[in-house]
Amino acid sequence: AAMQRFLGPLLCLWALRLPAGTGAAARGLDVASYRERVRAMFYHAYEHYLESAFPYDELRPLTCDGQDTWGSFSLTLIDALDTLLILGNVSEFQRVVNVLQEGVDFDIDVNASVFETNIRVVGGLLSAHLLSRKAGVEVEAGWPCSGPLLRMAEEAARKLLPAFQTPTGMPYGTVNLLHGVNPGETPVTCTAGIGTFIVEFATLSHLTGDPVFEDVARKALKALWKNRSDIGLVGNHIDVITAKWVAQDAGIGAGVDSYFEYLVKGAILLQDKELMSMFLEYNKAIKNYTKFDDWYLWVQMYKGTVSMPVFQSLEAYWPGLQSLIGDVDNAMRTFLNYYTVWKQFGGLPEFYNIPQGYTVDKREGYPLRPELIESAMYLYRATRDPTLLELGRDAVESIEKISKVDCGFATIKDLRDHRLDNRMESFFLAETVKYLYLLFDPDNFIHNDGSDFDVVVTPYGECVLNAGGYIFNTEAHPIDPAALHCCRKRKEEQWEVEDLMREFYSRKKTKKFTLKRPPDHDEEENAKDPEDASSEKAGWKRNSKKSSHSLLSCPSQSFNSKLAVLGQVFLDNT
Amino acid sequence: SCSRAKDVTMPAKVPVNFFSTRSPVIDLFRGQLDYADQLRQDSEIVLYFFYAPWCGQSIAAREEIEHVASRLSDQVLFLAVNCWWNQGKCRKQKHFFYFPVIHLYHRSFGPIEYKGPMSAVYIEKFVRRVMTPLLYISSRSKLLDFLSNYEPGVVGFFEFNASPQPPGYLTFFTSALHSLKKDYLGTIRFGVVTDKRVAEEISLVHSGSVYLHRHANTSLIYPKDIMNFTAENICKWALENREMLIRWLRPHGGKSLLLNNELKKGPALLIFIPYNPLAELHPLLDEITKVALEYHKCNKSQAAEPDLQHLGDSDSPAFDSSLTDAHLKFSETFPIAKYPCCNTVVLPQWHSISRTHNICELCVNQTLGVKPNKVHVPHCNFLEIEAALDSFYLQEHTFFQVISNTIECSNFLSFYSPFSYYTACCRTVNRHFLSFISSEKTIFQTPKVAFSSHGKKDNTQFSIPHIEDRNCFIRDLNISSMNITGLSCTTNKTLNLYLLDSNLFWIYAERLGASKSTHLKEFAAIVDLKEEVHYVLDQNQSLVGPTLENFIKNFSVLYSPLKRHLVDDPSVHFHEQRVVTEVTTNTFHETVFLSAKNVLLLYYAQWCGFCASLNHIFIQLARLLPPDSFTVARIDVTRNDLPWEFMTDRLPTILFFPHQRKEQSVKFPEDFSVNLSNLLKFILHHSSLSSSEPCTKECLHKESVLQQGHISHLEREIRKLRSEISALHQAHDQLEAQLSEARREEQRLQQQKHTLEKQHKTLQLHSEQLQATYDQKNQELLEMAEKLQELADASENLLKENALLRILVAARGGKLQSKDEIKEPLQSEQTLSEDNDTSLSAATAASEEKRIDNIDTIETEHSSGNRTE
Repeated sequence: AAMQRFLGPLLCLWALRLPAGTGAAARGLDVASYRERVRAMFYHAYEHYLESAFPYDELRPLTCDGQDTWGSFSLTLIDALDTLLILGNVSEFQRVVNVLQEGVDFDIDVNASVFETNIRVVGGLLSAHLLSRKAGVEVEAGWPCSGPLLRMAEEAARKLLPAFQTPTGMPYGTVNLLHGVNPGETPVTCTAGIGTFIVEFATLSHLTGDPVFEDVARKALKALWKNRSDIGLVGNHIDVITAKWVAQDAGIGAGVDSYFEYLVKGAILLQDKELMSMFLEYNKAIKNYTKFDDWYLWVQMYKGTVSMPVFQSLEAYWPGLQSLIGDVDNAMRTFLNYYTVWKQFGGLPEFYNIPQGYTVDKREGYPLRPELIESAMYLYRATRDPTLLELGRDAVESIEKISKVDCGFATIKDLRDHRLDNRMESFFLAETVKYLYLLFDPDNFIHNDGSDFDVVVTPYGECVLNAGGYIFNTEAHPIDPAALHCCRKRKEEQWEVEDLMREFYSRKKTKKFTLKRPPDHDEEENAKDPEDASSEKAGWKRNSKKSSHSLLSCPSQSFNSKLAVLGQVFLDNT
Repeated sequence: SCSRAKDVTMPAKVPVNFFSTRSPVIDLFRGQLDYADQLRQDSEIVLYFFYAPWCGQSIAAREEIEHVASRLSDQVLFLAVNCWWNQGKCRKQKHFFYFPVIHLYHRSFGPIEYKGPMSAVYIEKFVRRVMTPLLYISSRSKLLDFLSNYEPGVVGFFEFNASPQPPGYLTFFTSALHSLKKDYLGTIRFGVVTDKRVAEEISLVHSGSVYLHRHANTSLIYPKDIMNFTAENICKWALENREMLIRWLRPHGGKSLLLNNELKKGPALLIFIPYNPLAELHPLLDEITKVALEYHKCNKSQAAEPDLQHLGDSDSPAFDSSLTDAHLKFSETFPIAKYPCCNTVVLPQWHSISRTHNICELCVNQTLGVKPNKVHVPHCNFLEIEAALDSFYLQEHTFFQVISNTIECSNFLSFYSPFSYYTACCRTVNRHFLSFISSEKTIFQTPKVAFSSHGKKDNTQFSIPHIEDRNCFIRDLNISSMNITGLSCTTNKTLNLYLLDSNLFWIYAERLGASKSTHLKEFAAIVDLKEEVHYVLDQNQSLVGPTLENFIKNFSVLYSPLKRHLVDDPSVHFHEQRVVTEVTTNTFHETVFLSAKNVLLLYYAQWCGFCASLNHIFIQLARLLPPDSFTVARIDVTRNDLPWEFMTDRLPTILFFPHQRKEQSVKFPEDFSVNLSNLLKFILHHSSLSSSEPCTKECLHKESVLQQGHISHLEREIRKLRSEISALHQAHDQLEAQLSEARREEQRLQQQKHTLEKQHKTLQLHSEQLQATYDQKNQELLEMAEKLQELADASENLLKENALLRILVAARGGKLQSKDEIKEPLQSEQTLSEDNDTSLSAATAASEEKRIDNIDTIETEHSSGNRTE
């Protein structure tokens, strides 16, 4: 989609707008009652979908019927499945699992978006598969390495593989589920459509043992990385045959967003330094060129000049992502900017012109997107700041007051007058409601900090599962990182651990134990075993020669973060 | 993009009542701003509440407004306007970035926007201020009351004589309203005096003069000759010159740098008290104000000296505390020079030191380490040196240790004042051979020595005390009678004082370590942003003037006895059953250092993605390691502060504290991936389990314990293996079942294939037959056509013959008119041949159609066969 350009002076110094007082914050929100209101919201929409729209993809709330939008997979049902469990509805979860197994067919002559099918269908099925034991579904013996939902996810993913058969390894945007890539298909794909596979595909590969998924996802990520501009930015759309950038707007929002998200989440899920170092490089460029007064603008990817001084609704995921890697101060500051826009309209317009302080023509809608609420949930974990609950409250009030209709919740077509559109996107139940509920339910199993866990015996050995640290894919489907360590190639590690344990109980050491460098460090310093490292003044300031910290870590929070609540921000935190 | 939805849209719902109809608030929910402005004309005070019906903050504020309205509706008009409804006047005229917005009008003056907390009491207070922006001060005592308040007061003197209003009064009145616009917290109070005698109290003589009262600095009179006497100017002048001894902090909830800006000014004392702005009396606040005033009272030469003389008269012994007070004040009144002053003191006979030394050089220093220098320094005044002597005598015990023949010098802390130090260099005059060269040798540094204020000897501690020991020291200091008057100017650790309403901002107190359980929401903490430390006033002590004073004093002394407060997560409870032990600030020492186990400690934060995804590895590790010799623990460093030396700047960080060498902790190298085998290797490498010393009895015991552990470990492993085997069996069975299922399926498919093939064959046969019949038919058709052709030819011949015949006949007719009967039979033959032609073409068409049908069926059967395969 060609983006509109906004010329005109950019007011960098955005005045801090004064929102009204803190009275409600101080007395504290009634979290439990808001949680119940969110639950009621879910069922209002979900039941009307089942009643009026199933088996279509989506509910049309104004006409009380259904339509297929992204394929023909009963998309809303797949998307809402894990939300059911998060709300604690085990029996409905089980029923839907059966319905999906019987009803969903991917052998259909449908042109489907590779990106959307991956995040909604593959992601939804994977998370439902991994959660099914928790939901009381009777799982087969090989679970989590096999299962009907996993097979469905795999089948859906295999249908997408033909799209990756390009000279660059970057996938086409659309694929026919029956015939593969259509002849004459456009080779232009948006950046997010190329870089948003690693979470689902790596999970699939780890669970099924077939490396093809992770391989194609990695190859696509690397191709994007290779094609970044000299100043380290990526554009909006690229030709997957010629690797030429077709749309050269660089930013963090529409068309790019989940690429950055998946670099971070992939790094966390796979403990992968390479992905993280990519993200950190991008992050530097993004800060340098697009960040103005805690807003992120759109710039030309080669020159770094501002092309649109616009905030997009989709960009609101960024603070949440920042909090995952420990940049909580910056995250909170940006979040507070975005929150002012919500306060102005009761929702986030697709585009918001920052200098003008108003919506952008043709982009005034709010399809009940989750991103700001998602960030609030992550940030609430990190700060426990009541301001974040206030956003949750505002979201509940707004959505109920503005978009609730007899048959569900309708997209807001225009935030200026709150006109409604005849659509309820499946992400409303998959994401918006889920994140809202999780914001108001701090004790939900999803927030498990590792104090609870399950032990599962599989043919591959014993696994510790559900120990928290769930990685949400970009459609809010949680993936248990522990499950990735459960299947296939585990045996070798297990034997090694066995050997080590034997050593523990023998009084005299027979071997010297040295840690092996990870392969990518081999050349630079191979003969450096921790023997010398520890003998030189063991303790806290060990071996500062190599000062660079691990890429897979967060900085500790600064002292002033104790007081950085209720809108207070602190400058120059390093 | 591929949406097939019809363009159905729905306009926004028509607004309904936001306030109940019984409410004293008039609810213009259709945004009728014009009507609101009409209503306003009749009222002196009006409050506008602009709201949006979907806005959570508006909904939350609604109750508060109703509450205020129920109390003030007889004097104030409350108008609520829906400023969102896009067909309303309000939306068309006003452009708000947030809701609700509260505007107040005092007659025509306005709007005054209220930006304070959305809490009924605060709103009501503000509305009342708008109602009476000027306080009428009728008497001297009221004036004193007015001025003694901690918030700055502006007094105008206006004589109301014959004329209805003295000149300037209206301006002054407006400036009071104006200040509410700027200073929405209403910290500056405006009063008016009409009585000349009362005005004289603050030396106002002329009607129309305006006075700004200040406590620590001199008060001011509005300079009419320099600035024009306008409402704005008066307001600006007051705001610029007001004194802020103690400030309320009221973050508004939006993005703000308030705390950043205030705390960056230097260390800050934050005092949290529950505050009701409507209450008449604030005893606690008054007490705090008193402390603040004392603290800031720097320029008190006039005030302090009379006291001093009075106290000096009483001939009290050196240990009298009142006298020491006086000394302190005195020495502060005359600013202590940066250079030291010294006096020679002849020691009295009873002093213990006099046994070896009898003359001391006593110097008063401001900072430690300044050496006594007799030549360059002026003599001290008497009182100072006497104070020094007092301290000196008190600490005689310190000299017991250092008796020698040389000149002894010692620095010691002043008993009275925490910021001055005395140096005493003593010698014995009759020992002439002693050189003075060594006089600069500092033998003993006293600051850390505990000594009792009552002169008790304390011989126990001379080594550097532990922190715990210093705590005892604090207790003693706490009861010291030193006061804090003017402390803010004499210490280099000046505190800014702030108040926070704990009804609104208790969360900050909790963040600083206030216990959540206390029902009394009073709390005080000193926050030093630069040093990244904070101290809290012991919550067991009630927050009153003296405790607060002590708190300030303890902070101000050079070697502050205050201990950095470590915030601890109270929500964590110690679970013995937990696989991974959760460590908090309070249990850190116990779990890590006191336990007789190897400890692997993970520093984590719940929000850090890299930490959370390691949970399962640590759980596995903890389940693997023998629990009687290993602890796997973790600490959430976001919620638990640790002493500096145990802080880490990255998360996750993994430390290993080997048993018996706890101080030699090792960090898991950052560039290794965190997995089970790496962690085990790391532990194995550093654990002290493997000692290769010869075996003693104890060692044997250990060995047996170890082996016991091994056995139980193996048993666990066996159990695990068994369950694994059963899982494998299950999976095997399942596979078997699937396999047989698949086989059956295969067979079925095979059969299906066969039948399909058969069908295919028969169909093929059929089609061949059809082809044959088709060919045959075709052949027949051709033959038929030929025949037809023949017939046609024949008929043509016939026709020709016919024509010929006709001609012949005609020719002959002319000649033979009698032969007419022959024509008729020939004509009937012609019609018969035409009929034959049409029926034949119909037959060909039918046969063609049938053929197409047959091909169709073959094709469909083919494709369905493929699919099932």
